[in-house]
Amino acid sequence: MREMTILVVDDDPVIRKMLEKRLEKEGYQVLIAEDGYQARKLLTQQHIDVVLTDLMMPGSIGGLEVLGIAKNINSNIEVIIITAHSSIDTAVEAMKKGAVDYLEKPINFDELFLRLAKITNLQAIIRNAQDLSQAMSTTESAAALTIQDLEIRNAELQGLCNNIAAILHNDQISADDRIDKVLTMLADSAL
Amino acid sequence: MLKISPDELKLVSQYIHDISGIYLDQSKSYLFETRLGSIASEHNCATYKELYQKAKSEPGKIIERQIIDAISTNETLFFRDKGPFELLQHKLLPELIDARTPLSPALKTNIKIWSAASSTGQELYSIAMIIKEMLPDIGKYTIKLVGTDISDRAVAQASRGKYNKFEMERGLPGDKLQRYFTMFGDSWTIKDEIRAMVQFKKLNLMLPFAGLGKFDIIFCRNVAIYFTLPDRQKLFNKIADSLADDGYLIIGSTESLTGICPRFIPKRHLRSIFYQKNP
Repeated sequence: MREMTILVVDDDPVIRKMLEKRLEKEGYQVLIAEDGYQARKLLTQQHIDVVLTDLMMPGSIGGLEVLGIAKNINSNIEVIIITAHSSIDTAVEAMKKGAVDYLEKPINFDELFLRLAKITNLQAIIRNAQDLSQAMSTTESAAALTIQDLEIRNAELQGLCNNIAAILHNDQISADDRIDKVLTMLADSAL
Repeated sequence: MLKISPDELKLVSQYIHDISGIYLDQSKSYLFETRLGSIASEHNCATYKELYQKAKSEPGKIIERQIIDAISTNETLFFRDKGPFELLQHKLLPELIDARTPLSPALKTNIKIWSAASSTGQELYSIAMIIKEMLPDIGKYTIKLVGTDISDRAVAQASRGKYNKFEMERGLPGDKLQRYFTMFGDSWTIKDEIRAMVQFKKLNLMLPFAGLGKFDIIFCRNVAIYFTLPDRQKLFNKIADSLADDGYLIIGSTESLTGICPRFIPKRHLRSIFYQKNP
């Protein structure tokens, strides 16, 4: 399976470097942004699966704004918020706005990797479900066309049978005439 | 997972048929086990027979409801198959409005639409969104949109009009999502202007349709497939009774009424089929 691409957004160069090294060692593709502006640029230019963003950053694009930008571009992008203990309320706020999780500083890498593995699994399941529903809808629309044709044809034949029965039961005309009429009707119906 | 015996299979599938009309193939024992196993353990039942006896004798019918919720399929999405909705928008509704608009402008046009197996509500909300966009002068109409389903859980979710992102992504065009839903966390809730147009209630399609009245359009898609042939015949006969003489019936795109209800005749419009009563 394709490795996930993770965008790390943090204004602290030490944390950025550490996250980049550890995540790459785990086999993830890593992109780095020093602030919200760079993050926005990368989000619009590249395919990103997961954003790992600090909550508090200088400038007007903080973690919450990065979350909003990512979700706006593609709601399938999962965002994990990194936060100091003192701003947990804001982190909860972020979860309400669609963040999948938050991590407290200092980052526990085992915890981070577990969460990323869960996201990988979940995305694989989602892709599988999408494939299945795509296959189902292809099969369904092919079957629908056949069934529609049969349904209409059947109704036409039923109508024809009713008309033939009405003629055959009509004792106002001779038996020979009835058979003639029915034969003409069958010929016209182009069976 | 608690295993089901052949005797229990017979007993439980008969019971499910009795309470819901749903016919489950007895060869699919895993289906019974995966759907009912957790209900059995929740009620401390060591066997499915015990669960059956408990469900049958329990006056509150809580277990019976849980079994129906677990057995009924809630696979649905917004605008599932484009065909029926295009048909509704471009043919059925315009024709119906022509036929129903009273001569006096003081009177309102009445239109009643029924989603007979509404599941979690996506079909009826899709219909409501179409009507909202089609009729800018919606105040001139009295529109009644009714959704019914056998599952209490499905009816409750439909009434809340709250969907997770997976339910939202499938089928719903982006502009409708923005216009008619409010996002909260990872879920979306339908806005009140659409929510107020619809009502959902519980109904077992095998029982009499008491008090529902007559409808101008009935959607009964992909539910009869779970019923036996005699039950399908009864169902569509009752549907014919509940449909206005010039009303329209829409069934699932892979379903057929051939050999099921001669009171309906199929009609084709573009790539869709609808049914009307045989005059």
